[in-house]
Amino acid sequence: MTQDGFSVILVLATSHAVRAEKVLAQVDVPCKLIPVPRHLSSNCGVCVRVRRPDRKAAVQALNAAQIEMEGVHDA
Amino acid sequence: MAKIVDARGLPCPQPVIMTRNALQECAAVTTQVAHEPSQQHVARMAARSGCTVQAEKLDDGIYLHIAREGTPLEHTVPQPVGAAGEGPLVLTIPDESMGRGEPELGQILVRGFFHTLGEIEPLPGTIIFFNSGVRLVVEGSPVLEDLLSLCDKGIEILACGTCLDYFGLKERIAVGEVSNMYTIAETLLRAGRVVSL
Repeated sequence: MTQDGFSVILVLATSHAVRAEKVLAQVDVPCKLIPVPRHLSSNCGVCVRVRRPDRKAAVQALNAAQIEMEGVHDA
Repeated sequence: MAKIVDARGLPCPQPVIMTRNALQECAAVTTQVAHEPSQQHVARMAARSGCTVQAEKLDDGIYLHIAREGTPLEHTVPQPVGAAGEGPLVLTIPDESMGRGEPELGQILVRGFFHTLGEIEPLPGTIIFFNSGVRLVVEGSPVLEDLLSLCDKGIEILACGTCLDYFGLKERIAVGEVSNMYTIAETLLRAGRVVSL
């Protein structure tokens, strides 16, 4: 699957990624847990991929839920 | 003159067995089946046996006109042990999660696996889902999007019909084909390499 038009949000731990997915579902932001792309590195092997137009809403929702992010990258 | 095999209404895998037996005796066989799944199973077996298949839909069932070319079919698996190696790569998925232990983690891993499969090589020729693995090919599967994408790339996806039936999911299959143990066993034995998740 192409990753054009997506942003990936890196988090600190797998459990955070799982929680992030639930938070984003609550605010109707479609997302997908995917392995961290090879060109990025993270403490956690899983990251959250959202559509690029949803990036801002996703980051806001995760901030509000106090899920610490390691970085956000356009993929 | 084609030998007629009336397999309408017979449960899987009877139509396949009857057709296979008829092809041992006769170079041309017409098998009547009632439903498309039976049609698929018989047609696939025939095609893999080097036969040509033409399907005709009539009011009283589906007629499969099968013609064998060359020598009679061999009764049993002809491959000696160790002769494989040139067949396709086959991936088997026996579970809905990846690895033993924590189910939630296993789900995350299996989702990551199928996402990654769409981005790497070599791709398998066939993916076979059985036991609780069939939960991944039905509506609501967390990997459905990835599987549909793999399907679009020409990867054959087979789901164990017995397993779908056991879990009451036969009507909810959303990607791939309902398969039977004959096809699954043949696919495994003809594989160049089998990788099990």
